[in-house]
Amino acid sequence: MKRWLGVCAMSLLLAGGAQAAGFEARAATPAPELKAQDLAGTTRTLVDYRGKVVLLNFWASWCPPCLREMPSMERLRVKMAGRPLAIVALDSAETAEEVNGFLSRMTLGFPILLDPDGSNTKRWKVFALPTTFLLDASGRVRHVLTGPTEWDEGEALEIIESLLAELPAGAKSPTGGALTPQ
Amino acid sequence: MRFFRWLLLSVWTVSFAVQADVPDHQVFPAQGPQLLLWVASERGRAEPEVHAAQQLAAQGVETWMLDLVAAYFLPQLPSSMDAVPHQDLAAWLRAAQASGKRVVVYAVSRAAVPVLRAAAALEPAERQRLCVMLMYPNLYTVAEPLAEPDFLVVGSLAGLRVQVLQPRRSAATPWLPGLLDHLAKQGATASHVILENLREGYWMRETPTEFEITESRRMDAMLLRELNQWGCK
Repeated sequence: MKRWLGVCAMSLLLAGGAQAAGFEARAATPAPELKAQDLAGTTRTLVDYRGKVVLLNFWASWCPPCLREMPSMERLRVKMAGRPLAIVALDSAETAEEVNGFLSRMTLGFPILLDPDGSNTKRWKVFALPTTFLLDASGRVRHVLTGPTEWDEGEALEIIESLLAELPAGAKSPTGGALTPQ
Repeated sequence: MRFFRWLLLSVWTVSFAVQADVPDHQVFPAQGPQLLLWVASERGRAEPEVHAAQQLAAQGVETWMLDLVAAYFLPQLPSSMDAVPHQDLAAWLRAAQASGKRVVVYAVSRAAVPVLRAAAALEPAERQRLCVMLMYPNLYTVAEPLAEPDFLVVGSLAGLRVQVLQPRRSAATPWLPGLLDHLAKQGATASHVILENLREGYWMRETPTEFEITESRRMDAMLLRELNQWGCK
């Protein structure tokens, strides 16, 4: 009896310790290297997005939470058109065929990068999908989110706006170059 | 509050330290020379797993199935597996070896932690007679974005043969080489098999693919195939 009481008490402690994940602020650290090809075969790096706030999303086509948040990323792209925000989705450890198969069912206007050997996934130390990094315009990691969210509203949008607000006045203008959809 | 938690933890620890008991488990008897010890994940035992165990027994592989969250009244969380008294599991492994059959343990997800700790608690000669198959084992202590992964040290696994079954469609797949290295550093002889087109826990997914549904129904065949190809005897 004593033993089972002990087990029950431990269970309550463990259950009480479970917490929901949320955005994690990071002390502006330089981002790891990103080097991946897009679906057209062009090699992309973070230098391509320098001067813009970057939303870098690690995902996979087999991951239901990843797919659930994708439409909100697309709405965010439309909402932020002309502002210096780059949305980049890096598919983790799948082939181009698998990614294209998914894209035939969902239209997305932001760039999709491929990581078939998982090398970028490992450099960025991604252990769960989706995982998203928010980078400031200097290429430093400022926030990390493990798990999905609605990107065009709430805390996600507030954080993105706060990073955009750090940019010099001229860089925030709607005439700034938007990423060309692929 | 801290004192209260410490008190509860102490009561819990002492209560387990008193003695090791073989945990309650479900037995699917068979006459063959193999005995499979099936340890379900932190999410508990699923119906397709029970069906597979029945099918294995029908094909001559005796199967003992253990649902740790049910046996110890634990919440369905990965951390619950870390709270399982591994001495109980070690007693279970010894009871299985006493049957005279060839014993293979099959543990799912975080259940790998108490199973490996139990294996480490065995005498070297007992451990060398044991084979362990781990389905997408979760041995992380820390797995934070941008930080090096840290795996649990469970004790000496010298002489233990471990086969990892890793579904391809998993965020853990790129990290498999590091996991195998970690097992080897603890003394295990570690190998792996990639299960193509499958996700972790494919037999209990809310929205399974057609292929996952099919594979869930023939999990017994997959396990028999891997057992035979591995040849752990």
